[in-house]
Amino acid sequence: MTRRFFVPPVFLLVALLPACGGQNKTAPEPVPATPPPADAAAATPQDETPLVRASVTLYFPSATGDTLAAESREIVDTKRPADRGAQILAALLEGPKTEGALPALPKDTTLRQLWVRNDGNAYADFSEEFMTGATGGSADEILTVYAIVNSLTQNVPAIRRVGILVSGRERATFGHLDLSRPLPPDLTLAAKAKATE
Amino acid sequence: MKTLRPLVFAFAIGAAAFAADPIPVKVSTDTSGASTRVVLTFAKKVACGVVEDAGHVKIVCDAAIAPDPGSGTPDDAILKSFGPEGDRTIVLATGRGYRRVDTFELKNPTRLVIDLEGTRTGKAVQVPAAPQKPLPVIVLDPGHGGVETGAIGPTGLQEKNLTLDLARRLKALLERQGVTVVLTRDEDRVLPLDDRTAIANHNRAILFISIHLNASKRKSAVGAETFFLATGATDAEARTLAGLENKAYEPPEAAGAAATPATPPDHGLELILWDLAQNSFLVESSKLAEAIQTELNTASGVRDRGVRQAPFRVLMGATMPAILIEAGFISNPEEEARFKDDAYKDKVAEAIARAVASITARP
Repeated sequence: MTRRFFVPPVFLLVALLPACGGQNKTAPEPVPATPPPADAAAATPQDETPLVRASVTLYFPSATGDTLAAESREIVDTKRPADRGAQILAALLEGPKTEGALPALPKDTTLRQLWVRNDGNAYADFSEEFMTGATGGSADEILTVYAIVNSLTQNVPAIRRVGILVSGRERATFGHLDLSRPLPPDLTLAAKAKATE
Repeated sequence: MKTLRPLVFAFAIGAAAFAADPIPVKVSTDTSGASTRVVLTFAKKVACGVVEDAGHVKIVCDAAIAPDPGSGTPDDAILKSFGPEGDRTIVLATGRGYRRVDTFELKNPTRLVIDLEGTRTGKAVQVPAAPQKPLPVIVLDPGHGGVETGAIGPTGLQEKNLTLDLARRLKALLERQGVTVVLTRDEDRVLPLDDRTAIANHNRAILFISIHLNASKRKSAVGAETFFLATGATDAEARTLAGLENKAYEPPEAAGAAATPATPPDHGLELILWDLAQNSFLVESSKLAEAIQTELNTASGVRDRGVRQAPFRVLMGATMPAILIEAGFISNPEEEARFKDDAYKDKVAEAIARAVASITARP
């Protein structure tokens, strides 16, 4: 199902920028929507580590109901769970590309770091802006949290639960919701599409 | 009372850092109620467990403590005496009247409240005259309060005021059903989430109902939904977590080289027990949620959003069936307008009261 092709090294650099996250406030370079032609590899015979790209499914708050809307993206097919997860969160932070979806996280939120532990727990550390997403309603809080949790757990097999940190510190709550322990995905948010408004 | 020796523990990584000096603990007892109450007030946060033994109830802490007995020893039929044992344990010597122990925690300052239940036949102890079977208690929790306004509607309707309004209406209706109703707050003030749950546990409530109003960036979002807790962990998984307590922290695999070292999440024993508390009541909680949602649906004008699960912090530590109602979206102009109407608010309160009656009426 995954289309395999090679990309020149310069592209590798661009694609990995969002993965490094860090305190870089500028928006990551957009990943080209169309893959380069398959014969691009021939132009760079010195490339010893050919990159493969993988399709992932991101989950954003639906614009029409209290569900998560799926959007697919292409990332560099890195096997390391933390790199894969960081690319997914970078794409999630960029925001949705379709009209049926809303941004999952508050504007200007950045990913400081992502850890993946051997026990299946991942910890995503966001900048302080993350907390501004709790504006009073649990409906939006639930969608924000599970956009993150579902996007990571559904695309990275090594991640089974996601803990959310802010500015490097553990927070007890995000609005109404408990953040003290890593959360497993809530698959009902994507599955039941009955609540359309 | 013997003096405690300061002792450094290599017991747990976390404890070792602050175990050099024993943590002062104030011990106070209260025998004025039906049960004998012992309150331990800790100078700083410490995790303790309660161990029941023949003739004793032991409070074992994970750090060295220095108990200060305060004034007066109880010496009643339930609690004979208390004192330290070793550096981390307080022993309560129970009397003949002792039956069972119940504990809960309070914060700011950290307190452990130990209720020793039983009967006092001793002469000096006042026994409440003609003890009738007390009415069951239902705790209603009006969401938010004080500077925490909660959601605010387009014309300025504040969630904190509406939740209290609905809770007071519901209280009046439920009291007619022959239950005692306790509100976690009956005024406009800030109340931490864990304290709300603690009030329900302390009152040994049979039901805990947290009342909220929703809001969304999607102005079209309308309707009511009832939640019970999504715990995210099975009992077995939580026990495994508890078993990891004394192991050294393993740094996780980091993404990117510029790693700011983050503090490992500290899953203390207290947290796990708090989380697990509601796990035992999930079936009952889901039934209560179903009953309430069904009644809310039949109350005309309420759009059904169904029963759902979410990791609501306020439900986690509840030791009884516990649910959270999002009675409607005050971010929606039409729904906000409806919640300014007394008749509509009565209708919502009546719907919840009917659902509660259907649950409490069961044998």
